[in-house]
Amino acid sequence: MRADPGTATPALSVVHEMRLTWRYASGTAMERFLAGLAERRIEALRCGGCGRRYLPPRPFCGRCRLRLSDWVPVRDEGTLDAWTVVHLPIVDARTGEPRPVPYGMGLIRLDGADTTLNHYLAEADPDRLAIGLRVRAVWREELRGALDDILHFEVVP
Amino acid sequence: MRRVAVVGTGQTRHAKAREDVSQPELVREAARAALEDAGIGPAEIDAVVLSNMELFEGRALPELWAGEGAFAAGKPCLKVATGGTSGTSACIAGFHLAASGLFDVVLVAGFEKHSEGHTQTGMALTDPFWDRAVASGAVGNFALSISQLQAERGITEEQAALVAVKARRNAARNPHAHLQMAELTVDEVLDSRMLAHPVRMLDMCPQSDGACAIVVASDEPARRLCPRPAWVRAAVTRHEQPYLGDVDRRLLTMRTLRDAARAAYDAAGIREPLRELDVAEIYEPVTYAELAWYEALGLCEEGEAGRLIEDGVTAMDGELPVNPSGGVLSTNPVGASGVIRVAEAALQIHGRGGERQVEGASTALATGYGVYAWSDVVVLQAEAA
Amino acid sequence: MSVAVAGVGESGPALDDPRSIPEIVLEAVEEALQEARLGFDSVDAVVTASVDLLDGLTASNIAVTEVVGAVLKPETRIAADGLVAAIHGSCLVRAGAYETVLVVAHGKASLGPYWELTSWALDPIFLQPLGLDFLACAGLQARALAEDDAAAEQRWARIAAERRRAAAAHGVAPACTAEDVLASPAVASPLRRESCAPLADGATAIVLRAAGPAEPGVHLGGVGFDLSPHALGERELTEWDGLRRAWARALAVHGTRPTLDVAEPSCVFAYEEDLFRHALELDPGTEVSPGGGLFAGFVPVAAGLSRLAAVVRALRGPGGLRAGVAHGTWGPAGQGQAVAILEAA
Repeated sequence: MRADPGTATPALSVVHEMRLTWRYASGTAMERFLAGLAERRIEALRCGGCGRRYLPPRPFCGRCRLRLSDWVPVRDEGTLDAWTVVHLPIVDARTGEPRPVPYGMGLIRLDGADTTLNHYLAEADPDRLAIGLRVRAVWREELRGALDDILHFEVVP
Repeated sequence: MRRVAVVGTGQTRHAKAREDVSQPELVREAARAALEDAGIGPAEIDAVVLSNMELFEGRALPELWAGEGAFAAGKPCLKVATGGTSGTSACIAGFHLAASGLFDVVLVAGFEKHSEGHTQTGMALTDPFWDRAVASGAVGNFALSISQLQAERGITEEQAALVAVKARRNAARNPHAHLQMAELTVDEVLDSRMLAHPVRMLDMCPQSDGACAIVVASDEPARRLCPRPAWVRAAVTRHEQPYLGDVDRRLLTMRTLRDAARAAYDAAGIREPLRELDVAEIYEPVTYAELAWYEALGLCEEGEAGRLIEDGVTAMDGELPVNPSGGVLSTNPVGASGVIRVAEAALQIHGRGGERQVEGASTALATGYGVYAWSDVVVLQAEAA
Repeated sequence: MSVAVAGVGESGPALDDPRSIPEIVLEAVEEALQEARLGFDSVDAVVTASVDLLDGLTASNIAVTEVVGAVLKPETRIAADGLVAAIHGSCLVRAGAYETVLVVAHGKASLGPYWELTSWALDPIFLQPLGLDFLACAGLQARALAEDDAAAEQRWARIAAERRRAAAAHGVAPACTAEDVLASPAVASPLRRESCAPLADGATAIVLRAAGPAEPGVHLGGVGFDLSPHALGERELTEWDGLRRAWARALAVHGTRPTLDVAEPSCVFAYEEDLFRHALELDPGTEVSPGGGLFAGFVPVAAGLSRLAAVVRALRGPGGLRAGVAHGTWGPAGQGQAVAILEAA
């Protein structure tokens, strides 16, 4: 150990590059939700206990500790519940490349859902964003059954 | 729960990159310091608990390699990993092991060597069908919730900047801290680079290389080993639903922290936390979170957090010094950060705080925060129950 | 005060389970609670076991928080074999911190390249660059054992065949003969494909409760665990010293040495049974892996907890068995070891 921690150069280092592949199962609830997206349809699962309509849909309400099976329709329009404009380039896990900045992000409460959806916003000017704004989904032309079938949300004029 | 106490603490010098040591050596540095502080040798450790978020270093089961740094070879050793709360949860696991009657002396060691991996990638393995498709990263996720805090509580960028200044100035009196900025000003914070509106570079915690260890002992050995043991009066964990959008107005409600704090205060017999706590080491990854935690911890009424920081109530010479160490905002080796909170709280009770000592501290709070809204709350006291 | 196992539940082992991790875990949890005749609300704390890199998830316990009923409750996640999580859960009860603790371990080998993933658990400076993984380390250990024992490979083939036969009805792989084992391709010589337990997906859940020492049911008695030095060269490879230490601790906690009717070791490789028997100085009368053990399906991380569940079922069965031992191991060549004594009261 050297006397000057934090500034000394390494005596030895080994470089490992990690390339790993995982194959994730969506689960029954997410599978139906994603299939719906491919047809521009958004559905949530409603809890029979607390009545919360969950996005993302999941097998189980963690609050009531009950299984979920009651599907309800959700609109592709809703209210902005929180927002930010991101300036720090972060790696887009889908492409492995940093996403171009700045870009808007929001938590959107879609009409018909009780939880919020985090997604990109078309608007990236802080002065034109506010909690409570109405926003609507802008869909990709070729739908694939993934959350990014929605490109982003735009402010409803 | 049976009586247990923290009887020794130790930590490394934390830095952006500790290239002079390997991961096991980093752990060894903290573990050795904790044992020296407790006045014991490795043979007296009955069990070891490690804390580390292995994906940040691109590893699996890191205790297998780095555990020997904590003198774990030939001993019972387990690793706790729960995101940001890993360190506090590891300490709580250590308390439970020492209280179980199976082990008398337990060493808890947390570490992270962010410089050896790729933290952003390690954090990016969220739900592959949901968050991964629309990642905003840790900063962006905080910023979203902060927009609600600003809108409903009127928290200003200046008030947040005051938290940043307090943290880094306190850190200048902590020889272990990573970011030590004795002269930092509010203007410098407000002039720092925008990361995700309204969060600026100096509002955020750094990524640090570092390790921290504590020695936990059950009743009898605690009295033997430490002139003023830091007795565990409460150790509470509360977890939340898994998605960011599951928690309404996350920073404002923070029901896990509220619930955990209430349970911890009840266990420790605390009615007025601001008055009865002597020092707090809370897990604040971003300035705004500290202000939100003031409310959730019951240190002030709703909407009063900004006034608390403006009036210096939580400054070193205030009624309740919060984060004399400089906090997570100054030092953040994730797997160690929670252990640091508990160690710093214990060190205050031991009276070994040096320049950052709060005079006569006898009741100390430590908290952990992780994932979107997971909380740990620990209360330590000079008086056993 | 004693710790009772009030319920056990299991999902799998299954080959390539198409369900998501939370779905698999929920099945095991609901079964364990049902057996214990308890609702989620009766659970005071949860201990889960999982490993991020194996699941391909950051803090993979996030994925199961809801289905283990941990929302607004204490939960902690142990990143090691599930038997360690059970031991930790028993410490929560012994400490007087909680009365009822749910312990859950899950693994999904079909998610990723399991053995390749284990290479990332090896010392990145001195071991990983050699291209080793847990399978190769096991090969080195088996080779060390076979070196002075000409009959070893034949014996291991017989053990593997016996376990495979016992597991065939409920496991993920068909029965085979010792000849089949010896004829199967080497995976890490002298290990052969059929002398290794088949990888599988699954989850195990157990409910632990504070109980009086004489309360009817199965009690979790002495427990012990251990971590050996990492470097293979620092260990006597032909022994499981770590298990010997863990067993000594378990016996010390237990107070007496019970007569073991049944043993459920976590043997992924047939040769490991030799090491297990030796470390515990197992009486020849103890029945080992009556259901085929992990040869029914090796679910990483959940393996040790599934062994505990198997012992509990055996002790509850009609055979009048009184005591058994469950074993878990993780890391290269048995670096991590855990053992638990279970007794019928």
